[in-house]
Amino acid sequence: MKKLFVSAFVAALTLSSCSSDDDTDILNEKNIEVPVSYEFTRNGASTVNFEGQTTRLQMSAEILSNFTDFDNASEEMLLNMFANENSPFANEDLNASSKSIKSKVAASNLYFSTNNVEASEIKADFDSWITEQMTTVKANKDMLAEAGQAGQIAQGTRVRYVNGKGLELNQAFAKSLIGGLLVDQILNNYLSQPVLDEADNRLNNDDELPEEGKNYTTMEHKWDEAYGYLYGDPSIPASNPNAVLNESDDSLLFNYLGQVDEDEDFAGIAEETFEAFKTGRAAIVAGDYIVRDEQVAIIRENISKTIAVRAVYYLQDGKNLLANGEFGAAFHALSEGYGFLYSLRFTNDPMTNMPYVSVSDINNFKDQLLSGNGFWEVSPDTLDSISEKIAAEFDFSVAEAAE
Amino acid sequence: MIKFSRLFIVFALIFAACSSEDDGTETGGETGGTDSFDRGAMLINWADNIIVPAYNNMAAKTQNVETAATAFTAAPDAAGFQQLREAYVDAYKSFQSVSMFQVGKAEEINYRSYLNTYPANTSNIDSKISSGSFNLELPSSFAEQGLPALDYLLFGMGTSEETVALYSSNENYRSYLNAVALRMNSLTAEVSNSWNGDYRDTFVSNTSSSSTGSVDKFTNDYVMYFEKILRSGKIGFPAGAFTGTASPSNVEARFNAEISRELYLEAVQSFEDFFYGRHFSGNGTGSSYKQYLEYLDSIKDGADLAGLIENQLDAIQSQSSSLETNLKSQVEKDNTKMLEAYDELQKAVILLKVDMMQALSISVDYVDSDGD
Repeated sequence: MKKLFVSAFVAALTLSSCSSDDDTDILNEKNIEVPVSYEFTRNGASTVNFEGQTTRLQMSAEILSNFTDFDNASEEMLLNMFANENSPFANEDLNASSKSIKSKVAASNLYFSTNNVEASEIKADFDSWITEQMTTVKANKDMLAEAGQAGQIAQGTRVRYVNGKGLELNQAFAKSLIGGLLVDQILNNYLSQPVLDEADNRLNNDDELPEEGKNYTTMEHKWDEAYGYLYGDPSIPASNPNAVLNESDDSLLFNYLGQVDEDEDFAGIAEETFEAFKTGRAAIVAGDYIVRDEQVAIIRENISKTIAVRAVYYLQDGKNLLANGEFGAAFHALSEGYGFLYSLRFTNDPMTNMPYVSVSDINNFKDQLLSGNGFWEVSPDTLDSISEKIAAEFDFSVAEAAE
Repeated sequence: MIKFSRLFIVFALIFAACSSEDDGTETGGETGGTDSFDRGAMLINWADNIIVPAYNNMAAKTQNVETAATAFTAAPDAAGFQQLREAYVDAYKSFQSVSMFQVGKAEEINYRSYLNTYPANTSNIDSKISSGSFNLELPSSFAEQGLPALDYLLFGMGTSEETVALYSSNENYRSYLNAVALRMNSLTAEVSNSWNGDYRDTFVSNTSSSSTGSVDKFTNDYVMYFEKILRSGKIGFPAGAFTGTASPSNVEARFNAEISRELYLEAVQSFEDFFYGRHFSGNGTGSSYKQYLEYLDSIKDGADLAGLIENQLDAIQSQSSSLETNLKSQVEKDNTKMLEAYDELQKAVILLKVDMMQALSISVDYVDSDGD
């Protein structure tokens, strides 16, 4: 039995392409029915499922809500939450889950399956932010921060807690998690060809052979899992997420996709991304893998751009606030910017299947931001030059991202 | 741009497809992998020159363990203890050359799970010893027997002197040790007898290229062994490759971890020898995956697939020389080296599971089940 997809695909094309009648069928898209909302059914029942993603988004939210709770949280508790060990969550359903955030950080098929050395360094970064927050920063929580010394800093009437370099570790953790968990899993794992087309996925999808005991094919489910990392927060209506764009409780990728969409230079990016998710899923139902992969490219480009725009936005915001002497607000912006910069490593340029900005450049930018006393002494030139270099890899300008 | 590249791909494929008629059976025939490679001859080489001799060797080694355990428990002393330990280490090494052959009787009786589920469940072993009541035939007792249990029973009870004293004074310990040794030997004999009996013919005559044919089925097991048992079991789990948290106690032979790298190397070597069709004994070589792939002229990235796999197997061997002999200590001291080993192994997984199986027109019957 000739089961493998490439051969099957070529064989299918042999048949169709060599008889001229069918050429148009290939060049024109197959009958893909794109629904208005993200709803797909088989035999009257939904085939959409992304519970696992919702679970991880809830775990992330609970970690983040405890990150600055110095009175009740501890290093051990947050590390346990990160790895889901020793039943750390207030939400018992999360404790009962076999899933953990940490196991999926820097864990995509495309970037990390043969790159566990770097993956382990990245996981260790997340651990280290927790540890530093709950040791050094916690110890100084009642002191004023200054260059080289962790402590409090005011942003207007709000209190922010920073390390000795002015970095808010909760922001570093949260914004880096957008890349390290969500973007990596979406772009480089679930939407990657080795995962979508693993083993007999194409054949089973063509035959509408569902997974055992499920109503979805494996490929449909992989696609939904990608969808779930972006749209799976419980406050987002599963089939029509943009109805709550910029109004949901999500604080990760969906939130920032909304914020970028609000900038008129990028208006429409949220709708286009949702359309691509719907169209790609419908293409899978129709068995049209060419159209599916076109949607993958759109999603990769848009989500990558979202990360880059926010990185530049915050670096520029931080620069302007520093110029006004508003250190608290500036450090807050730069901390977010640092996290988005960190997340750039997980972006995917569909032309190359690699990050838009090279890993060595990203590491270099991170070092520049945190060298010496970090945000206390970072220069406007440094912030501009990093911003320019990021924007240059995308099709937007620093000015467009910054407003 | 996207439209353009799609058209380009389609045209490229049309071109390729229309001209493929001249290419013969480059990657197997259209009707189901009916290339003319002699699968039967390969199966015969596998069975007669590799699998059967490897199981016969293993059967002799587990017999030695049983004999040594019987002798030691009859009259516990230092010399007998030393002999038993050596027999156990010998058997553990030999096991690495049969573990990948989980077909036929071995599959039916779950041979690998009974022989080498690790880490052993030491608290269950302790309580079964102290109650004196146990049934090693229960599937729930995988982690309480086999080689990892012997590792605990022979190396996890303190110094040699303390251990000999323990066995001298405690009937329950003696009887558990004997039961473990006996069962290991009888399971091995069962598998080995089956290969020396009818199963060999059943295996080599099933040359069909369907999913139930010997080559298809065996190849799935062989590649799965490499991915799950060798890569994940020996390196990935202890290194925390899946969780981000290293777990040194998951090392194979954790109580006698000085042999852990050797067990890993034995497994890699056996896997590689099988790929090349090297006979278990002597220097002979026969029909193998390597020859099959060369026959299929499988090309990837301009290099032949057999060559790519060879290079990767070499890379694994060469990386392994940077590991300490004690992998437990390696994990504790410098886990990066373990992760590097994992990465090299994973590169081979991709070549084997995607490229090789595709080239051989074999459908993968298992997937990485780590989605949600």
